[in-house]
Amino acid sequence: MSRKLISALVALGLSATVATAQEYPTKEIQGIIQWGAGGSTDTVMRSVTPHAEEALGGTVVMQNMTGAVGAIALNYVVDADADGYTVLMGAENPMLYKVMGLGDEDYSAFTPINILARGTAMLVANNAAPFDDYAGMLAYIAENPGELKLGATGPGGLPSVITAMMNTVEGELDVISVPYDGDGPALTALQGGAIDVMPAVLGAAIEGIRAGNMKPILIFDTETNATLPEVQIATDANAAYATYLPWGPFFGVFAKNGTPDEVINALTAAYATAAENKDFIDLMAGRGFTMMNISGDEANAFLTKWQQGTAWLLDDAGLTQASPEEFGIARPAN
Amino acid sequence: MDPEFRGDIDHHDGTSDATPGGYTEQRRPGELSFAIFLTLASLFLLYTAYGISGFKALSSPGSVPMATTLVMVVSALIVTIRTSRLNKVAHETLSKDILPVMVILFIGFLVIFGLLLKPLGFVLTAALFLIIAIKVLARKGWGYTLTVALVSLVVIWIIFRVVFTVLLPVGILPEAEFIQFFRNLMSGGAS
Amino acid sequence: METLMAIFTIFTQPQLLLLVGVGTFAGIYIGAIPGLSVTMAVSILISFTFSWDVYPAISLMVGIYMGGVYGGSRTAILLNIPGAPSAIATAMDGYPMAQKGEAGQAIGVTTVMSFFGGLIGIFVLAVAAPFVADFAITFQPRDYMLLAVLGILLVGSLSSGSLVKGIFAGALGIAIGAVGRDPLTFTERFTFDLRLMEGGISFIAVMIGMFGVSEALQQLQNVNMKAVRQKIDRIMPSFGTVKKYLPLSLQTSSIGVIIGALPGTGGDIAALMAYDHAKRITKKPKVPFGKGAMEGLVAPETANNAAVGGAFIPMMTLGIPGDAVTAIMIGALFIHGLNPGPMLMVDQPDMFWFIVGALLMANVFMLIFGLTGIKIFTKIVEMPRSVIIPLILLLSIVGAYAVNNSITDVYWMLGFGVFGYFMRHYGYPLGPVILGVILSRLLDDNWRRAIISEREDLGSFFEGIITSPLSLTLFIAVILIFVSQTSIWTFAKNRLFGKAS
Repeated sequence: MSRKLISALVALGLSATVATAQEYPTKEIQGIIQWGAGGSTDTVMRSVTPHAEEALGGTVVMQNMTGAVGAIALNYVVDADADGYTVLMGAENPMLYKVMGLGDEDYSAFTPINILARGTAMLVANNAAPFDDYAGMLAYIAENPGELKLGATGPGGLPSVITAMMNTVEGELDVISVPYDGDGPALTALQGGAIDVMPAVLGAAIEGIRAGNMKPILIFDTETNATLPEVQIATDANAAYATYLPWGPFFGVFAKNGTPDEVINALTAAYATAAENKDFIDLMAGRGFTMMNISGDEANAFLTKWQQGTAWLLDDAGLTQASPEEFGIARPAN
Repeated sequence: MDPEFRGDIDHHDGTSDATPGGYTEQRRPGELSFAIFLTLASLFLLYTAYGISGFKALSSPGSVPMATTLVMVVSALIVTIRTSRLNKVAHETLSKDILPVMVILFIGFLVIFGLLLKPLGFVLTAALFLIIAIKVLARKGWGYTLTVALVSLVVIWIIFRVVFTVLLPVGILPEAEFIQFFRNLMSGGAS
Repeated sequence: METLMAIFTIFTQPQLLLLVGVGTFAGIYIGAIPGLSVTMAVSILISFTFSWDVYPAISLMVGIYMGGVYGGSRTAILLNIPGAPSAIATAMDGYPMAQKGEAGQAIGVTTVMSFFGGLIGIFVLAVAAPFVADFAITFQPRDYMLLAVLGILLVGSLSSGSLVKGIFAGALGIAIGAVGRDPLTFTERFTFDLRLMEGGISFIAVMIGMFGVSEALQQLQNVNMKAVRQKIDRIMPSFGTVKKYLPLSLQTSSIGVIIGALPGTGGDIAALMAYDHAKRITKKPKVPFGKGAMEGLVAPETANNAAVGGAFIPMMTLGIPGDAVTAIMIGALFIHGLNPGPMLMVDQPDMFWFIVGALLMANVFMLIFGLTGIKIFTKIVEMPRSVIIPLILLLSIVGAYAVNNSITDVYWMLGFGVFGYFMRHYGYPLGPVILGVILSRLLDDNWRRAIISEREDLGSFFEGIITSPLSLTLFIAVILIFVSQTSIWTFAKNRLFGKAS
């Protein structure tokens, strides 16, 4: 026993010097989750990371760090050392921080370890709403200007992007936009009749639709959705949506730029393996997420395209604080 | 009654939230300054609240802050006027009853704790704080002080850092390596 | 009928029973330590129980939840530091009892009444969940706003001493709750263009500072005072005592279940509302409120434990979390391959009945552990203050940091601790500050939602209130309570201004 203790103390003394020589990871890794416990980002990260830990042979301690639409967590990781022991587990929001005036950093300061999955946006309506499909909704808005209550989650959130898309494609829609803290509370309000229509991520609405507590109106995708095959897709409703789709919120794991290559490779390999785990894939499919599991250049290309499309869409709708041009975000080619 | 007794026999020191301190008919040393400070601070906050969005709309983000800071200004003003009309408590002084040396000392300790927490790390800062605080308060030997301080620190550290994995500021100690070492030791022993 | 048998699953598997027991035991201590929260514990358990089956994982979480809600009362009674937000009201009469050496009795009553409240909550969950959920979901933004106004009127009963100072404290709380980026428009409010203010001020940090640090600083003035010897012979309350408070606890438990079942409000608001209710209906308490009235203990403790069952109602029937803890449990169910939502009751009714059974068991364990550990617990108060005070300060710091892993929260906590110290000395009640912070978002967000929904038209806003039975009921309650308080107010005004001028 005492021998073990002595060796522990010796190791403690040496660890500072030996650490660099050993293989990554030599200590636990902090995973900073951008959103609160129980949210979709949290759930996705907590279900994929144990598989990654196994592949990596290390421990990832996950912590939720909320506030300022995730900017607090992002800044925390930016301020930490680029040694791979502090990684960011986030969603799409940081890509809009600059144009929305929420911060000076986005994922361009990070190396994507893995972009795990993408969600699909859709419109759902209260059961009592006097229409059952997208065309009916547009007709209702045209006949009753300023009557329809559309849920929102603040500038830059999924509903604001979808609303901007609809306004661009269909012309200005005269609706009341009622803000909520997130799609969870907004969908609750939808079922209670406080709002009529809500743009939400498919995964959050699917159980309510299955139970018949709300009705699906439109899915913002270019292909028929496997989970809800009978629901109309946006490009069928109006071909002009093709410019912006496919689009959706995403979840990813990121390390700060400047992290040593071997560390990036170890993390990337671990999360790639984890994302192929059958349990995880089933779980994501059940919630209507589309698996991506991409990293490296592929992930960077995805991020750039996502940011260009979304930032300019919001800018054209007059929702941004600063033009994407100021930050060198080029207008998408098409 | 013991003149040094500061218990709550007459409930004037706010030992419980249900029995807040102060006297209804008299004012304590510093009470008026505190009320004036609150009034000025509330005025400043009201000005700031107006700056959020002005009188744009009932639903603007500044409307509730403006309403509440207005309530703060009005109530603080009433308190100030009321306090100014009261007589001072005869037997109390600021340095004896409101801000004794010990309280100032501890506020100082807390400020230093806050400043050192990040650069020095939690474990060292907390150890220093506990040792000094217990030494100052208990006035007992170093053996007692060190034992009590370090044992309770280890317990707190284990609960928060190991069990609840709260990532307390590491500072200059190689804490994570230390934990990893024990983790390896445990898993090595298990297999 | 078969699915109903799932309620007994827990009793037939010793392993699950053990887990609920361990969870409840741990929960009591987690709840008792300010800064360790049930929310934190449950989210860590998600990773910890990742590879387990769903039943054991849920058993442990349910135990921690039940124990934690109850555990908050321990430190509230013994040290005047609520271990959890739902125990704020408990401190108001519990601590005066401890000062009289009746801590054992206070904890005994609290335990039995928490058990009773918990039981009511579980009962409503078991028999009426779908109805309560349907009712809870009909709350419109204006109803939530009226509920928040109703809550704010509690300032009156929370401020013994000067009411004006109470109003100031309440308004300050609402302002504190507004700091940071507004969640609806991301406009900066009271941030003074400082990055560290953008995230706002954590409500737990304010609570720990105001109650923990300021209490410790206060205690510095009587370091050498001998601790009160605690009588621990009469822990188990007599049947007569329980019977006496039965009508009150039925009412406060109902408040707890409903407030707990509403998404967006939880045990903390329920406990404060119950305290207010008890103060209102108790005409002649044996001991005055604020000096150790038994009613002041019974009301919040029944309500916050009843709120546990309440919080599960929307979670199990609709997949909508009733509070932060059930939000995480939804995540846990999801990770374990279930699809929490309205279909859960249809697809997997066993899960519902299993949770009812687990809650029931956790409630029983809470009673057992609650009544047996008191002697050791009361020793805390008898520890030398020279050791307790530094430890409280250290726990406050760690606790404030742990909420969101943020050093900024530690600074806020310390700042509010020192500020609270002065507030205590000059007769400003602290309860209303916390009340204000809790209600700030509820009031602000829902007021704005309600008025946006009416296109900024106050006329149709009031029309909406009058035409909806629910809103009208709440509105009338607000008016009644307000009027009843104004008479107190005029009385206080006469007493204070009349003599001075």
